[in-house]
Amino acid sequence: MKGNVIKYERDNIDTDVIIPGQYLKVHDYAELALHAMEGLDPAFHSKVKEGDFILSGRNFGCGSSREHAPIALSHSGIKAVLALSFARIFYRNAVDGAFLLPIEIEEDAYSNISEGDELDIDIRINEIKNLTKNKTYKMKPFSEIIGKIIEAGGLFKYKPD
Amino acid sequence: MGKTLFEKIWDAHIVVETENSPSLIYIDRHLVHEVTSPQAFDGLRMNNRSVRRPDLTIATMDHNVPTNNRSLPILDQTSAVQIQTLEKNCKDFGIQLFDINSPNQGIVHVIGPQLGITLPGSTIVCGDSHTSTHGAFGALAFGIGTSEVEHVLASQTLWLEKPKPFEIRVEGKRKNPHAVTAKDIILSIIKNIGTSGGNGTVIEYKGEGISDLSMEQRMTICNMSIEAGARAGLIAPDEKTFEYLRGRKYTPKNYESLVDYWRDNLKTDSDAKFEKNYTLHVDNIAPQVSWGTNPGMTCDITESVPFPEDFSKGDQNQKKGAEKALEYMALKPGTPITEIKIDRVFIGSCTNARLEDLIEASTVVKGRKLSSHVRAMVVPGSQMVKKQAEELGLDKIFTDANFEWREAGCSMCLGMNPDILSPGERCASTSNRNFEGRQGTGGRTHLVSPVMAAAAAIEGHFVDVREMDLN
Repeated sequence: MKGNVIKYERDNIDTDVIIPGQYLKVHDYAELALHAMEGLDPAFHSKVKEGDFILSGRNFGCGSSREHAPIALSHSGIKAVLALSFARIFYRNAVDGAFLLPIEIEEDAYSNISEGDELDIDIRINEIKNLTKNKTYKMKPFSEIIGKIIEAGGLFKYKPD
Repeated sequence: MGKTLFEKIWDAHIVVETENSPSLIYIDRHLVHEVTSPQAFDGLRMNNRSVRRPDLTIATMDHNVPTNNRSLPILDQTSAVQIQTLEKNCKDFGIQLFDINSPNQGIVHVIGPQLGITLPGSTIVCGDSHTSTHGAFGALAFGIGTSEVEHVLASQTLWLEKPKPFEIRVEGKRKNPHAVTAKDIILSIIKNIGTSGGNGTVIEYKGEGISDLSMEQRMTICNMSIEAGARAGLIAPDEKTFEYLRGRKYTPKNYESLVDYWRDNLKTDSDAKFEKNYTLHVDNIAPQVSWGTNPGMTCDITESVPFPEDFSKGDQNQKKGAEKALEYMALKPGTPITEIKIDRVFIGSCTNARLEDLIEASTVVKGRKLSSHVRAMVVPGSQMVKKQAEELGLDKIFTDANFEWREAGCSMCLGMNPDILSPGERCASTSNRNFEGRQGTGGRTHLVSPVMAAAAAIEGHFVDVREMDLN
């Protein structure tokens, strides 16, 4: 999975800035995407490209349980969010609906990867290659259940062994 | 080795558990509101599924509902559609709904306990992060997303990873319990452990500082567990819990025998082990005011707006976060909190809109007038709270002081209905989140207790409510 990075160098990016409350009445995913990250970065919509990744600090997706948050990012083209840690509901929402991959990274990746870098992420070997900087980082492996739901393509496709 | 209360409830709800795999957990109660449920019902329809246990599912509308005159049509068409969609979904799938005209309508986390739907030892979910509120009754209660809402509707179960138990002890006695409240306790905890301090855990709150609290105050504590990143917050049930639930609309018929069982079983064993521990001493804590854009950015009313380098203690991301927060909040480091002027006051939300909250706020307001440059709104948490408050004459106390007295709903906590801040407006709010834009684009939120919000409304700026005479 290859893509370029949009970097937000901060912790606690909450679901109210990912998709502000007034859009929770919107059911059209393409329209939701128009407002993704609007609370933090009104330029997001004009710069995001299909296949991009978001890189951020700790506790990404904290706050409300709105599944609109990963939906808005996913329909903007974001394939994965790389963060030092995630809030749990956002994390599960991203995986349950197969909207995007929430990837936990270590400090080295967070500080080394810059805005615009091209990455190649391989979740089978838990590796992130920075093609721009020619470096490789480890990602934290998914837990067993998360790995299985991702593999199945979402919560409703997951069947226990 | 003994078990924690959380582990006991978890173990009692396991449907399937094998080693190194997720657990399938049974859900006792599913609360539904209009915002996070439409796609879940659509999913059921697309797959020809029914609701597995409509009898264990209860719905209300709270996020979108206008809080002014309910006899008028809803002007916001998208809100009206979301409300009508819930009505249709509940009708089609046989789910009990407390609609906009029901005397039981209200914020889902306020009506659950009031109706006796929330029970000790049960598992409760809702597509809403503040479901943690119900943990005050010794229930394992947590927020879920819309995919999980659909999964519970279809199967009454969820695949879950087991969280870790986290013990937070609240020790000591508050010197002035009318001025230093449950809100100040939970804001102090979040300030100290951080907004991700509880990630991956279920917090059990224990100690004298917790057992001293009323049920409504305990709900304020558990409500904001999510703001510390925790999956849920829990308080072991005691006689106050059992008394609160006795004789309510949906309290089970065999209640007394349930109480006997709960009394003997719903507690953490003395030799149980917690993965994490934290202790807060409340003897000397002050009323809290948030200054930044997450609930961890909070300080004492007696302090000043911090300098980012002092707040961050060397962490670069924290420093950047504080700088951005101060810019958004238009605050200068070193400004005494008591010098911050406000434009709006919101007394409401699932955190602080229960009867006791309104009674406490009214003790500050009684016989005084709203500051001339402030607009203040009181939004009861449910229509039942509103009715009880009116029976006590609280509406009159607030309206005499020029506060607005509204109908029940989530209102200005999250800016989905017409109750929002204008860009740049500064609000003293009894809600739970001070995120950028939460109460309206460009709005600036300071989280406080109901008495602190009321005091700020009267004075026009933050004041130490400990120095005011309370009626």
